[in-house]
Amino acid sequence: MKRFSPLAGRLAACAVAAIALVALDGAVQSVMAQNPFGGPRPAPGSEIGGLVGWILSKQSEFYREISAALRLAKSDGSAVWSLLAVSFAYGIFHAAGPGHGKAVISSYLVANRETARRGIALSFASALMQSLVAITVVAVIAWLLNATAKTMCGAEKAIEIGSYALIAAFGASLVWTKGGRFMRALQATRPEPALAVADHGHRHGHDHDHGDGHVHDDHCGHSHGPAPEELAGPGGWRRGLAAVLSVGIRPCSGAILVLVFALAQGLFWAGIAATLVMGLGTAITVAIIAVVAVSARDLARRLSEAREGSGVLIMRGIEFGAAGLVLLFGSGLLLGYITAERVTCL
Amino acid sequence: MKAALRLLLVFLPALLPVLLLGAGAAEAHPHVWITSTSELIYAPDGTLTGVRHAWTFDEMFAAYALQGIETKTKGAYTREELAPLAQTNVESLKEYAYFTFAKADGRKEKFNEPVDYFLDYKDNQLTLHFTLPLKAPFKAKALVLEVFDHSFFIDFKLAEKDPVRMVGAPEGCQMKIQRPSDGSASAQQLNEQTFMDGGANSNFGMMFANKITVDCP
Repeated sequence: MKRFSPLAGRLAACAVAAIALVALDGAVQSVMAQNPFGGPRPAPGSEIGGLVGWILSKQSEFYREISAALRLAKSDGSAVWSLLAVSFAYGIFHAAGPGHGKAVISSYLVANRETARRGIALSFASALMQSLVAITVVAVIAWLLNATAKTMCGAEKAIEIGSYALIAAFGASLVWTKGGRFMRALQATRPEPALAVADHGHRHGHDHDHGDGHVHDDHCGHSHGPAPEELAGPGGWRRGLAAVLSVGIRPCSGAILVLVFALAQGLFWAGIAATLVMGLGTAITVAIIAVVAVSARDLARRLSEAREGSGVLIMRGIEFGAAGLVLLFGSGLLLGYITAERVTCL
Repeated sequence: MKAALRLLLVFLPALLPVLLLGAGAAEAHPHVWITSTSELIYAPDGTLTGVRHAWTFDEMFAAYALQGIETKTKGAYTREELAPLAQTNVESLKEYAYFTFAKADGRKEKFNEPVDYFLDYKDNQLTLHFTLPLKAPFKAKALVLEVFDHSFFIDFKLAEKDPVRMVGAPEGCQMKIQRPSDGSASAQQLNEQTFMDGGANSNFGMMFANKITVDCP
């Protein structure tokens, strides 16, 4: 049986991802079709039952309290403390909503076999960056330049598109790497005659890295340890940075509104403090979700360990699938199939 | 079979984040609050020609919208000073179909671009006024008008007092107003409405839409 060249394998993997994208396009559209104007849609706020409804109504409540606390802080300095408390609570609840890169960060962690600890670090880094971008946008456009909302909204839109493009590019690069690995695992597990076995042995010698693969307790089946450069490490940090950058560059509309409102009240510093605390709350929620995702992947790995041979394939498949998801989120957001929080343009 | 199982094993855990997080994917919470009053404008012959809205923004959004606007007197904004912003507003609203959805006897009606639009700033409140002319003015036995943002970025609330007025409506026309929170979208009504509209799914929107119905003889 003819072996694919690595390049062909990767190209095939990317093609599969592209086809899946097109297929999902249809699926997503039909899902979205349930929400046209005037169409059916679950009622917001109190009318949605369960956890989601509760989270929605809570964040809505906290958000309104932020503006009330800011107004109060103008005359009563001690209200700043309640402003910070409400902002923190808002951040925690708000991150459970759309945006904030939970899905991207979690998928990246699964795809790139990151540890829970790094997941937490990435969550905090991206939330901090999100806050800093919001503060910078308002400080430069509103405070320094005293430009209008139209300018600000234009900047927000540009940043938004940039963020989605970055996520898509990041996802594409993950698909490229993980697709190659998935294809290799696919070939390795295929029951093949003598030639393949010989080949198998050959590859074993090249790919298996005893030092790295086993120290990290990374179960790699009986062969095909990860190439060192693909493990978390120097290269991994660079990739982690890409995750933080692509997610963190888009500020949340709520923070922008709060900052501009604070500026209008002459309390810009309070708005900055509120935004940073909000980011802290967001980071906590995203970190929790990231840890859940990493744990789920580890559970899958442990389950798949029991299966000789195909266990590797399953894990490579999961990684590839997660990489594909990042690409899917990026392109979905870019093309408007996935709706994130709208930017404040009216 | 085995391959299918394998595929499932591959994609189920990979989809976990989506299942986990996707539930809230389209669920934003409102960032802007609008208190709305509207007028239904009828021609002398009884056709509905358009809708005139007055939308008052919440304080936070008002501060955002007013950012950077030059004024002669600090804190006071004239209609002229606000004109460029009003222009931006109506242009942006186009993308969202002005959050206004009309049905005449079950048929969707479209609006032309707004006319007579302006912003005013009174008692620290910013209000956008605009008239939406109907593309094709009509006479309808049953008019349904809904004002809402399907993505719920904006929370529309009908004003407490006289949220909707009929201007020059034919005699005998009855108006009913349904607010999202007043519980009038009860299960029974929903079923009845669903049946009348001939679509099982066409009516959940009214649970949070501000729904105005006018029945004429």
